[in-house]
Amino acid sequence: MQINNYGSYSGMEYIIKIKKPRKTLFNDKWVWRMAWLDARHNLTRLFLFISSIIIGIGALVAIDSFNTNLQEDINTNAKALLGADLNVRSNKVFEEETLALFDSIEYEQAMDVRFASMVLFLTPQGGTRLVQVVASEGNYPFYGNIETLPDDAMESLTQGRFAIVDESLAMQFEVSYDDSIKLGNLSFIVKGIVSSMPGTNVVAATFAPSIYISLEYLEQTGLIQYGSRYSYRRYFKTGTTEQADLLEKRLLPVIKKYSYSHSTVEDEKENMGEAFENLYRFFNLLGFVALILGCIGVASSIHIYVQQKKSFIAVLRCIGASAWQSFNIFFIQSMVLGLLGSIAGVLLGIGIQHLVPVMFGKYIPVEISVGIAWGAVLKGLLLGIFISGIFSFLPLSDIRNIPPLSVLRSDLNNDNKFSRMKLLVILLAILFPWVFAVIQTQSIRNGTVFMGALLGSFIVLTLVAKLIIFLARKFFPTGWSFVWRQSLSNLFRPQNQTTVLVVVIGLGTFLVSTLLLIQHALLNQVEFMGSEERSNTVLFDIQPYQKQGVSDLVRTYQFPVQQLVPIVSTRLSKIRGKTISEIQKDTSDHIPNWSLTREYRITYRDSLIESEKIVKGKMISEVAQPNDTIWVSISENMAETLHVDIGDEVIFDVQGVPITTYIGSFREVDWQRIQTNFIFVFPKGVLEEAPQFYVLMTRTESKAKSAAFQQELVTKFPNVSVIDLRLILQTIDQFMDKVAYVIQFMALFSIVTGLIVLAGAVINNKYVRLKENVLLRTLGAVKKQIVQMTLLEYGYLGLFAGLTGIVLSLLGAWGLTRMFFEIKFVPDYIGLLAIWLSVTFLTIIIGWINTRDVINKSPLEVLRKEV
Amino acid sequence: MDQILEVNDLTKSFFSGENKLTVLDTISFSINQQDTISVVGPSGSGKTTLLGLCAGLDLPSSGSVSLAGIKLNALSEDDRAYIRNRYVGFIFQNFQLLPTITALENVMIPLELRGEKGLVPKAREILDRVGLGERMDHYPLQLSGGEQQRVAIARAFFSSPKIMFADEPTGNLDEETANKVTSLLFDINREEGTTLVLVTHNMELAAHTDRILQLKGGKLIADKQLRVV
Ligand SMILES: Nc1ncnc2c1ncn2[C@@H]1O[C@H](COP(=O)(O)OP(=O)(O)O)[C@@H](O)[C@H]1O
Ligand SMILES: [Mg+2]
Repeated sequence: MQINNYGSYSGMEYIIKIKKPRKTLFNDKWVWRMAWLDARHNLTRLFLFISSIIIGIGALVAIDSFNTNLQEDINTNAKALLGADLNVRSNKVFEEETLALFDSIEYEQAMDVRFASMVLFLTPQGGTRLVQVVASEGNYPFYGNIETLPDDAMESLTQGRFAIVDESLAMQFEVSYDDSIKLGNLSFIVKGIVSSMPGTNVVAATFAPSIYISLEYLEQTGLIQYGSRYSYRRYFKTGTTEQADLLEKRLLPVIKKYSYSHSTVEDEKENMGEAFENLYRFFNLLGFVALILGCIGVASSIHIYVQQKKSFIAVLRCIGASAWQSFNIFFIQSMVLGLLGSIAGVLLGIGIQHLVPVMFGKYIPVEISVGIAWGAVLKGLLLGIFISGIFSFLPLSDIRNIPPLSVLRSDLNNDNKFSRMKLLVILLAILFPWVFAVIQTQSIRNGTVFMGALLGSFIVLTLVAKLIIFLARKFFPTGWSFVWRQSLSNLFRPQNQTTVLVVVIGLGTFLVSTLLLIQHALLNQVEFMGSEERSNTVLFDIQPYQKQGVSDLVRTYQFPVQQLVPIVSTRLSKIRGKTISEIQKDTSDHIPNWSLTREYRITYRDSLIESEKIVKGKMISEVAQPNDTIWVSISENMAETLHVDIGDEVIFDVQGVPITTYIGSFREVDWQRIQTNFIFVFPKGVLEEAPQFYVLMTRTESKAKSAAFQQELVTKFPNVSVIDLRLILQTIDQFMDKVAYVIQFMALFSIVTGLIVLAGAVINNKYVRLKENVLLRTLGAVKKQIVQMTLLEYGYLGLFAGLTGIVLSLLGAWGLTRMFFEIKFVPDYIGLLAIWLSVTFLTIIIGWINTRDVINKSPLEVLRKEV
Repeated sequence: MDQILEVNDLTKSFFSGENKLTVLDTISFSINQQDTISVVGPSGSGKTTLLGLCAGLDLPSSGSVSLAGIKLNALSEDDRAYIRNRYVGFIFQNFQLLPTITALENVMIPLELRGEKGLVPKAREILDRVGLGERMDHYPLQLSGGEQQRVAIARAFFSSPKIMFADEPTGNLDEETANKVTSLLFDINREEGTTLVLVTHNMELAAHTDRILQLKGGKLIADKQLRVV
């Protein structure tokens, strides 16, 4: 050994540095050996640490893989969804100019006309049903697989008056090969059944099952004269996206000029993406929560682990291990276990991810692949290692502050040495979830808000813990019985874990109940038709003079008339004094064309219905005098689209008659309810005499009763159409159930992580109280008293921490629903109460389990073991 | 170097709020190599505090401790740890074995820490010497208090320290076991020729040493040489 005297010799004091071999984590074999020797017998204590990692990373990988795969599937299948590279759609026959342009285009084309019609089955069973007729010409769809029976059914369409029907239709009406059906004046022979057609999914097919015929027979059916709504479509196959873009540019002038609609593969991708937007968001939130719970789990289990290892470390320091060496031993343990846990978590995640498509694959219009998303796997591994590194470093850095003197005095407090390294890690610990949140939400604002909310909760919980400690000490009830006093004083006596437990239990509760609330709000959104009284049958085209008769008929079947609404078809003619064509020419105002040229089906009534509320202005119920100003109500969204405000003049063209009105109010409309909702609502006293028809909504009961009713309706009122929503509702219900199931399943996963983290904190806490309880027993406390004391102590902690977490989650979920999901916030107080009670209960139960060790062994045995 | 430990005007005070508690008051003494001395005094007289300072586990309020000629005051905590590993052995009242590793592994720790290899035969030998040849692969929890203290003694001497500090080594043991452990400690100490500093309130135990320092209220009140080596 060499000793260098570094110059400064001042009086008696030498500043001495000993030259000793430099040891780092990597060249110090001894720390690796110690890490292993010690870990062998600590695996149960580290189990909680590792399970936080496993479950956290597992959830993250599952969620990420699912997101990635769904996104990729949508991308790769978008072409098949559209069936073409580009389509152009019009609700009237294409103009000459357009047809000429189409003819000049070199790419392969196909066309069809789609419209709703009643079909008559000329089968033994018979029956009629509203269907979508697709009269086609050409090889559409160009992409995607058509599954028909027989395989070449589609080709047979051009060979005669043949039809192909959707599988659901074929099953419902027992239609089979060579049966006849009648569309308008013409009968067709069924030559095939379609089970899968690109661009349609189960939900769509149930809503409007399709019948495919050749375009050449359309005229002869006579259906074309009846003035119902048509969609004329032209499809183009360009092969590449670039060419589709070029073609789009060529077509845009006519598309604009004649107000056609059109879609490209890109549009389709976007639409699909939007449909899953909130699901993505929820999953991203879940991912974030899982990660944070993992971080908390790691930090809290390591924190308490270090507490237990204090004397171990002191002995090592005493024998001559340096501060960093002692640190490294445990750092190695957590890194190696973190790595193993991450690998296990990734495997778990891949496993779970395979379940998702099994659960609701059928309802997503693209086939979800279950391939391993390597990006997600890599991300999971890296995150796992990162989390173990950063979040174990923080509590582990305490090790360096354990004074070696504690071998002689175990009650010695740690030195509170500041180290730059620790500061750096604290910064990383804040930065890391922040960056993660930003990446996960793909928005700096949202990510920052997430992180801010989390930090805020952390601070609030710490303050609450300090407050509890302060209050318990300040207002200590000296008059209480021994058990009550002792359990209360446990909250503030030296070595108490109050702050850690309150923060961990509180944060866990906060995250879990936020998820619960969001899930609740999402499900509420999803179950828009959940109510028992929802309508399931819609009758439309009821003429004013039939109104009474039809309602009476409905009532004789003892069905309720839930809505009977007049509908008037109108178009806009002037807004704020400018004609529609003037507005169209002025491109500076960005009012979309469709909103100007479309047909508006409006109604009139004197009050609001359940699915709407006034957000601006006042609803005027009636126009009493013929010359009074007509104040109409407009939906909030459409007011935005049309750039109109309260008091603006809007002139409607009601089948040739101009009617001048003024915007009187904005309504917020819940469009997702199955109800007849309207963009414009007129007051009473204006449109009563205009050409109109009524829509009636009712709820039919049994299938048989409904069939009998429809039969009678068709004979008595042949012009009235019926849509039986029961089948559709059933399908949508099934779909929504699956969505709800997936949401719940994934949320459950994070909740379990939360519980494990919580359990971990409480179980580890046992080692802190163990010795003391044994001592109390030695001093003569009876078992019952110790149990009561423990239950009370954990009871306080669970109650307060849980309550704080829940209050925070109400704030958090409110913010999330407003800003992130843009859905209605519906607090689920019963759920919250359940969480509160379960958290408290769980805390108490684990606390109680903890006392088992003390109670079932002799004090001596425990003392010897733990000294 | 004759003097292994030199203590000069050692003072240690603790502050709790306004109050200053002087636990050790200007203590000076020195110990020659291979001496065996005991520090005695009633409970609370500052024995353990003194031991902690001499072994470099803590720093004095004023005064100095030199161990093997090295002034401990001037060293960083890690450097003091290094010195402890090279020169110092410890025996504690509550044994302080690492609970998660076996008796054999416990014994080897100080030398392993120095980076030495091939220690197992030597470690077995010393465990045999303390009479635990059969129990080397047992964990501390599987051993009685007396046995644990034997392992601790084996561990303390295994690294051939220049000076051995023992704080109430028999304090947690019954009389019979205590006697056995005491004779074992002194036997090995003699064989190894180690300097021994024994802290105890037990005069019977202290009588085994060559010299007795008596503490009372933080002051050194007597320094009796019982035997001359
Ligand atoms: N860290 C400390 N803070 C405050 N007082 C201390 C501390 N360490 C020791 N003391 C006090 O110093 C005195 C001497 O303690 P100690 O050295 O353990 O005595 P002994 O070992 O002789 O029984 C005691 O009164 C003890 O309370
Ligand atoms: Mg003492």
